[in-house]
Amino acid sequence: MTGARLAWPVGVRLAVLGALAVLAILAGIRLGVVSLTTRALFDAIAGRGDPTTVTIIRQLRAPRALQAALVGAALAVSGATFQALLRNPLAEPYILGVSSGAAAGAVLAVVTGWAVRFVWALPLAAFAGAVLSMLVVFRIAFSVGRALDTRVLLLAGVVMSSFLVALIWLVLNFADTESVRSAIFWMMGSHAGASWRSVGILVACFVPAMAVLFSLARALNLLAIGEATAAYLGASVERTKLLAFATATLLTAASVSVSGTIGFVGLVVPHAVRLLWGSDNRALLPCAALAGAAFLVGADTLARTLAGANELPIGIVTALVGVPCFVRLLRQPRAV
Amino acid sequence: MPWRMIATVIIATAIVACASETDARGARSTATSAASAATADSTLHVTDDNGHVVTLPGPAHRVISLIPSATESIIALGASDRIVGRTRYDVAPQVASLPNVGGGIDPSVEAIVALHPDLVIAWNTDKRQIARAKLVALGVPVFTMRTEDTTDVFRGIANLGKLLGRDTSARRVVASIHRDLDEVRRSVAGQPTPSVFYVVYNDPPMTAGSKTFIGQLLGIAGGRSIFADLDALWPQVPLEEIIRRDPDLLVVPIGEFKTNSLEHLRARSGWRDLRAVREGHVVTVPSDLLSRPGANIGEAARALRTAMHPTLAAGVTR
Repeated sequence: MTGARLAWPVGVRLAVLGALAVLAILAGIRLGVVSLTTRALFDAIAGRGDPTTVTIIRQLRAPRALQAALVGAALAVSGATFQALLRNPLAEPYILGVSSGAAAGAVLAVVTGWAVRFVWALPLAAFAGAVLSMLVVFRIAFSVGRALDTRVLLLAGVVMSSFLVALIWLVLNFADTESVRSAIFWMMGSHAGASWRSVGILVACFVPAMAVLFSLARALNLLAIGEATAAYLGASVERTKLLAFATATLLTAASVSVSGTIGFVGLVVPHAVRLLWGSDNRALLPCAALAGAAFLVGADTLARTLAGANELPIGIVTALVGVPCFVRLLRQPRAV
Repeated sequence: MPWRMIATVIIATAIVACASETDARGARSTATSAASAATADSTLHVTDDNGHVVTLPGPAHRVISLIPSATESIIALGASDRIVGRTRYDVAPQVASLPNVGGGIDPSVEAIVALHPDLVIAWNTDKRQIARAKLVALGVPVFTMRTEDTTDVFRGIANLGKLLGRDTSARRVVASIHRDLDEVRRSVAGQPTPSVFYVVYNDPPMTAGSKTFIGQLLGIAGGRSIFADLDALWPQVPLEEIIRRDPDLLVVPIGEFKTNSLEHLRARSGWRDLRAVREGHVVTVPSDLLSRPGANIGEAARALRTAMHPTLAAGVTR
């Protein structure tokens, strides 16, 4: 557990990142195309004042900021888990083909027209696609050798992803222009569809999934050293791997199904937190959750304000803002 | 491969209305504005192109159209003062100074809501309907429109007339478009009919199918598309098939895409080997006239006639 730069106690880290996340959410609710005074903001939160402002705050901005926070947290924790499990710095939430599975489901919902007929068809199809592709990837990995070999799992995920992407483009090749456009919009990712119901569903998935992953943090620490060592040190390696992979994947699947694939967060936020405070998963996972939440809410706020009403795809912002920050962090000399 | 496809899509959608069959469904009433103080006789029920019955307490007075061609039709109905916002794709001077609500498929819902519209016109072909679902949930009536062929244009203008309480103007505009189209059709009667490739885009080559307004206007203006047999609205066609079908004339909409320039076509192998290009039979039409199937399709037909029958057009006054 080396590489930490700042020797802050865990409580302080969590308090600072928590405050940052709350500030980001408040800023996300405060800022938008329609400018508001802070007074009008608090009135609207309390349900007073101009009914249009109340609608904008309560029905549009608040659920959107909260959805962005939940998705950011989910992707960051899921990414950190995958990096620990696969012992691979390039691991990220989509590495086992979850995003391509979700995209395949989403494309199916778009091309068949279900997405227009039922509001929930697209997220449900995306979630089903993600879970289905995860099951196939695990099936492949388990069919090779006796125990779950993470290298095989990684390869299975990568080839599954390629296969699904090919399938998606095959379908889109024969689809009408409008379906292709809708599919691409979905694949670029956005929080524009956020509602209180999507936030509620995310919270319902999120709380148990986080609880499971946080409880596995110590075992993940041992796994990061090596599976054999972890087994000597008393970790139930196979059970931990399976539970952690499945939970992190489900978490990612739920996120992707409401917001489309948003890259970068799940890869880089855990690394940034690790660079700052080291790689003890017991602290890393909750810190990554809060940092991911703050980062994605901030990115979403920029995406919907930088160019006025012309909303930018959020993936553009996460990468354009995130990469320079990360490179700066990477270049600073390590204290430890 | 994916990038080329993405490019194609962005292009195709930027050019025109969208392609797809209408998802007609059982009528489901859209939310009306809560305060239905209006009397029963002024209440409007109009069925949109997705089969939803949209109910308004009376003619709409604060309208936001997410479809540029519908915006132009509203202006043609003399109701530009009812428009309170525009998309970033609207170019008409009547709406240029209005607040921008963003894109047509991905508008800023809060920017729309802040303008207090009593009617929003939206694409029926958007396959996700995120903006529509949000607006309807917030009690804003949304009327979706199909904008592919000339019947869509006529039905659209009639529907906008109903929604705005401008039925008489709508009938007048429709009649005037019919007159324009009839005049163009008569003027080319007896003329030789050139076989035409209409270059919606050149890489990959894409043209307008016979079921689009462009395909229909080509016929009215005295041309014959070499791909009139294809069913797709905006078919992508292989360059070698264009060479095989050997069009007399290339019609190129100019103004939207830099690569659709004549120099570009003349320089590229395949294109430069076409008989039409070798013999200099390449004509242009203003793309903004042929990208919005609204009240201006009469003018678009005249532009196509001018391009395909230059000698004829010179002698005809409208």
